[in-house]
Amino acid sequence: MKRLLLTCLFATCAVYLAQAQTSPFDMSPEKPADKTVTPPPSAPIELPQPSAPANTPDLPQSALTARNLNRPMIRYVIPQEAISLSGETSEKSWGVFVTEDQAASATLLTLTYQNSLVVAPETSSLTLVINNAKVLSQPVQSSENQKTVTVKVPPGILRAGLNTFKLAANLRHRTDCSVQSTYELWTEVDPSKTFLTFSGEASRKFRKIDDIRAIGVDNKGRTSFNIVVPALDRMAATTPMLHLAEALAVLANMPNQSVNISTSLPREQLPGSLTVLLGTDEEFSGLPQYLAANTPGAALAAFVDDPVTGGSILRIRGQDWQAVTNAVASLVDPLKRDIAVPRTFISSQTWRSPDIPLLTTASKTKLSDLGVGTHNFSGRRLRTEFAVGVPSDFYAGEYGKATILLDAAYSEDVRPGSQINIYVNDNIAASLPITTTGGEILRHFPIGFTMRHFRPGANVIAIEAVLNTTSDNACVPGSTTPTTRFALFDTSEFSIPSFARIGTVPNLAGLSGTSFPYNRSDRPLPVVLNNGGAKSFSAAATLLARMSVAAGRPLEVDARATANSTVNTNALFIGAIPQIPSTVLIQTGVSEAIRTAWSNVGGAEPEADASNTQVEFDQWRERLAGRGWRGQISSFDDWLNRTFNISLESFSFYAGTDESFTPEPGASLLVAQRSNPAGDGLWTLVTSPTDDQLSDGLVLLTRQDHWSNLKGHILTLKVGTDVMQDVPVGEFSFIPTQPLSFSNLRLIIANWLSANILSFSLLLLVVSGLLGIATSRLLSNFGRRK
Amino acid sequence: MRKFVLILVWMLMSACVLLLVTLPVNLQTQLIAGATVLFVMMVLKTLNAGGIWRLIALALGTAIVMRYVYWRTTSTLPPVNQLENFIPGFLLYLAELYSVMMLALSLFVVAMPLPQRASRPETKGVLPRVDVFIPTYNEDIDLLANTMAAAKAMDYPADKLSVWILDDGGTVQKRNADKIVEAHTAEKRYEDLNKLCAALDVRYLTREKNLHAKAGNLNNGLEHSTGELIAVFDADHAPARDFLLETVGYFDEDEKLFLVQTPHFFLNPDPLERNLRTFEQMPSENEMFYGVIQRGLDKWNAAFFCGSAAVLRREALNVTGGFSGISITEDCETAIALHSRGWNSVYVDKPLIAGLQPATFASFIGQRSRWAQGMMQILRFRFPLFNGGLSLPQRLCYLSSTLFWLFPFPRAIFLIAPLFYLFFGLEIFTASGGEFLAYTLIYMVVNLMMQNYLYGAFRWPWISELYEYVQTIHLLPAVVSVVLNPRKPTFKVTAKDERIDRSRLSELSAPFFIIFFVLLVGVVVTVYRIYTEPYKADVTLVVGAWNLLNLIFAGCALGVVSERGDKRPSRRVSISRRCEFDVGGKWMPGTIADASVNGIKVQLLGNLTDQLSVDLVSHVRFKISSTGEMGDLPIQVRNVRKQAGETAVGCLFMPHEPDDHRLIADLIFANSSQWTKFQLDRRGNPGLIKGTIWFLGVAMFQTFRGFAYLLRRATGSDKGEWERPL
Repeated sequence: MKRLLLTCLFATCAVYLAQAQTSPFDMSPEKPADKTVTPPPSAPIELPQPSAPANTPDLPQSALTARNLNRPMIRYVIPQEAISLSGETSEKSWGVFVTEDQAASATLLTLTYQNSLVVAPETSSLTLVINNAKVLSQPVQSSENQKTVTVKVPPGILRAGLNTFKLAANLRHRTDCSVQSTYELWTEVDPSKTFLTFSGEASRKFRKIDDIRAIGVDNKGRTSFNIVVPALDRMAATTPMLHLAEALAVLANMPNQSVNISTSLPREQLPGSLTVLLGTDEEFSGLPQYLAANTPGAALAAFVDDPVTGGSILRIRGQDWQAVTNAVASLVDPLKRDIAVPRTFISSQTWRSPDIPLLTTASKTKLSDLGVGTHNFSGRRLRTEFAVGVPSDFYAGEYGKATILLDAAYSEDVRPGSQINIYVNDNIAASLPITTTGGEILRHFPIGFTMRHFRPGANVIAIEAVLNTTSDNACVPGSTTPTTRFALFDTSEFSIPSFARIGTVPNLAGLSGTSFPYNRSDRPLPVVLNNGGAKSFSAAATLLARMSVAAGRPLEVDARATANSTVNTNALFIGAIPQIPSTVLIQTGVSEAIRTAWSNVGGAEPEADASNTQVEFDQWRERLAGRGWRGQISSFDDWLNRTFNISLESFSFYAGTDESFTPEPGASLLVAQRSNPAGDGLWTLVTSPTDDQLSDGLVLLTRQDHWSNLKGHILTLKVGTDVMQDVPVGEFSFIPTQPLSFSNLRLIIANWLSANILSFSLLLLVVSGLLGIATSRLLSNFGRRK
Repeated sequence: MRKFVLILVWMLMSACVLLLVTLPVNLQTQLIAGATVLFVMMVLKTLNAGGIWRLIALALGTAIVMRYVYWRTTSTLPPVNQLENFIPGFLLYLAELYSVMMLALSLFVVAMPLPQRASRPETKGVLPRVDVFIPTYNEDIDLLANTMAAAKAMDYPADKLSVWILDDGGTVQKRNADKIVEAHTAEKRYEDLNKLCAALDVRYLTREKNLHAKAGNLNNGLEHSTGELIAVFDADHAPARDFLLETVGYFDEDEKLFLVQTPHFFLNPDPLERNLRTFEQMPSENEMFYGVIQRGLDKWNAAFFCGSAAVLRREALNVTGGFSGISITEDCETAIALHSRGWNSVYVDKPLIAGLQPATFASFIGQRSRWAQGMMQILRFRFPLFNGGLSLPQRLCYLSSTLFWLFPFPRAIFLIAPLFYLFFGLEIFTASGGEFLAYTLIYMVVNLMMQNYLYGAFRWPWISELYEYVQTIHLLPAVVSVVLNPRKPTFKVTAKDERIDRSRLSELSAPFFIIFFVLLVGVVVTVYRIYTEPYKADVTLVVGAWNLLNLIFAGCALGVVSERGDKRPSRRVSISRRCEFDVGGKWMPGTIADASVNGIKVQLLGNLTDQLSVDLVSHVRFKISSTGEMGDLPIQVRNVRKQAGETAVGCLFMPHEPDDHRLIADLIFANSSQWTKFQLDRRGNPGLIKGTIWFLGVAMFQTFRGFAYLLRRATGSDKGEWERPL
């Protein structure tokens, strides 16, 4: 099944790529340019650049050393590796935290982009809005090479704290009016050349703990915490440093965070990174003078200036480890949240603004509250998206239906055959054809869609209007800016019914969404690190930081646990494969064969496993599909599959048992989850062939885009190709999360029966049969008999 | 206590089913569950499993129907803010809910119909005095004579039996009518009937004024008679000899019994049966009512009076002051009144009378309009659900019987609904093609299977729908008018002895052709839409199929309104009786092979073709079953045919004397078991698939026949007599 899925995935990707590659060069004659182009509202200022030479982000990072101290401070703003605005309209919105000093300084904004060849510059624009003020707006006209624009951010726009950035592109095709052509439109903004430039020395400095949130990202959207623990091997240090990593991560709450634990100071402080010193005063004695805690009564946790880099280092100290632990606690405690208090939002501002509402029961939310504005659209394909969160005990994937109550209008130009599609996490979930001519106003028109693709945590829902119009079919030259055809109003609502809530384990999606079930335990989570060492600690800290962000609060951990001490509790096992006890492998459903499979991976890529019978079988089947009468049957089968999503596997009374799993030799990270031997807790295993691969793998896995795809019972990740493969959940058990109620129980049963189709049929037969018998008894005892 | 536990268990099981069917499971689960249930029902059906299996199959069907209703209610209604979709959509929803409610009520009524009661040829004890009432208004005297003769011939002590003709056609009011022709006809009728009554020893009774129609007439009879029991026969309903013996005994067993009802058996086809030629092969329309529903009602002590072929207790009738006359269906109304006062009824499932039913489509519609309007009046004036005197089962039974007549509304909506989509693009039922398959289609098949389970041998697939459709067009205005003005309708006597000498289109046929053409345009639009709007082809296909189904009914109905010419108003019942035939003064031995109201077929030994000629007037004599005497019956030869070793002679009765009618009645009506045999011969369940294929064939042929009739009418060949009926 897994392989089948993958094959499908590949096929889909292939199709998508094929589409994406369709001729960017249109050979049709160029249309005369529209003469009536209005100038963009705020033209970029060509700055006199006295300090401009500094704005050369192409410089290698290592060049930013103490010698460049007089250079302005650069602050990258895009929290991801690459950002592409595609289609006719596209926008991204996120928050950037700046310190008081940074907000007060004179600021420049630099943005670098490149667009596809087919974008018509006269009618296309790229805008950047900060806190609702348009800071940059210009025609999109750089298809041959990157274009860098620098503008001055007017004073008063940036404020201390979170600032909402909104990057929007409005693109039109040069020549083509088809819907298909809109897929050729894109503008890529280069994160490594898009940044704020602060002037003044003070803007480099962090003064208070909250300034950690201004850590920002590097030129690839990554954030790293370098925790320097001189006494790394001390047992007492382990738990505090993990807690510290968690606290830092929760506080900064950046999308791609990693923690690097070492014994020595990094040579330089790069953008998007923060150095943290953790230890006793005695352990600091070997450090440079300005770092050593030689002042009695110095703050236990505070920033100290680093004259070498010009920035700040967070120093956490104490007389002894007990005091250091207390110092860490002073950071952690304010971030703690009572288990009984549910979140109403998933804090996502730093990568998606606004915060994502966490819907735990039936609710209706206006799109305006979800960050979607009213669109008056004159193109062919309008796509807008928003995110909603569901809790980790969401158990309505099989039966549930959510609804968008659409407020929209379309003009008489829009022809039947147009459609409005709903996507959930990039899976098509509903398609509403527009069937009337002459335009229509839709008032709270319900579009129901399956919640099959919902997962715990944040879910991105996209509304896409694909408009097929008379004027586009004619595609008369010069008519590139038609009147508004379609309007989507922000009064539309997203409505979710009350859904079944019960936790299921194993489920890695729950771990990714809210760290379920560890987020709900009131006991410290036992973390088993069989082998210490910087790499191993870094890996554990990175993972726990990620889990804490998902849970919305630092998770308490107990790093002294062993496999034996956790047989009847939750546990997290992190380590390279040689250190993982066999009992843990067996219990989490991983085959012992993993040891041999991974033993000879000496960094060299093993020969790819070529003979994959199932995949090849499927390929043959695909090749022969649709031929002859068998093909007709299989196309009916396809229709059945498309319409009802029924396959042989659907016919089950209950979920089957899992076979033990051996990863491909090429996989560099494995995450597996299963109940503990006693059956009353959940074990999660994270392992790699080596410690290095473990820590690299976890940095990759905890990246926002990968982490949010975590699912199944076992998952493997290949570093390099970034390919994630998962083993779907088979056997599972329930973990009640809600007080027992009739309505919840009913919905849980509905979902279970929807997953085990035959059970429902059987139950229906049995209960109806009993009713028949009861009726027969009743009728022979009432009324006349002879 | 035991009953309480049973109810409790039943309610618990119902709650479980309810809980299960209202689970919001996904489409796949529904599809598989629906298919599974369908399969199990089919297996049970194929195995012909009865008893407890029948109820299990019905429970399975009920579960699917309830799932459909749940789905229909929760996810298919158009949004309220789109009124143009919502209003017709909601009407369609109500129509479907009505159908489901009627299914539920009929499930209750016929879940376990009473088995046939044992025949009771002899009655012990003292026989009560019986007055036989034959109310008449304008029926043919010959017809009345047969009925009177048959009534007089009933096996019952002569001193305890008086037969009354209650003539409303010869009242003082009629005889003194202002219109001279009318007055003259009434006067003549008065004299002729008096003469006939005297000859047959029947008492003639008429009254001053025609007040309260049939109920008033019967009440007048009650005032002038004294018998403990009253038997009522319509003018054309002649009883068999054993009628009283089979019915009277029940009154002895139950003091609170007010009614023994028997089925109405018809010797002639109704217009649908005649025009579709199904009379001999398919159970009659009313057999579903008398064969299953009345037996079901009987289980709940709710069998009701059907105006004729019944025996009632005078003492009970006196309680309510005779027959009730608020509505124009006095029979059912009287039964409700007495049931609600604690009286009981019994239904005897054996045809003991034979009669005639309306022959033309127009009079058929007239009769049904009266029933529909009368039932609406009962619904309005005596709403059964809130009638405190009735038991709960009785209330449900009466509700079922009266609400049934609302069918023109849903039928009309089902007819029009697909056109909303096809012509105007309105989406009044929001569902995808897949959902239609998983919910609607399975529901429809399950519904048909349940109907087949309930009525299989008595009603073939799609026939109910056809009957409802052909009535809807004209019943809808009738029902609407009675709803608006419940006191307006008046009793109109249904003509039953009409002859259709020529093939012709019924005078009510025009709307059927118009509807057919509109639906045909719908089919064209369907095809057009599938090609021009491929993005919603799945929904168009589903709606188009629905419209096509309507078109098939409409086409079949064209055949129903194309009246076939038919020389014989009534059908022959085969009998086998020795007789002697007067051939030129010589009595030749023979056998009477079959008899109808109008004539007989006699089979004579040897070749007598040269001695018998058409139009020859002669006599047939045979032994009268009641007295054992020989009787001479004058006849006229209509045709003579040579057969192997025999001569078959078709003869027409030529009754001159009142006594001749006794002989005719004796031939046709003496033996009730021959009617039972006739009914059993055409009973038989063809099953859903065979029945459907058969129906499609009939519908196709009838559509062409309807158009052939239309063409003849259009080309004027209608003027002459159509010699060969198509």
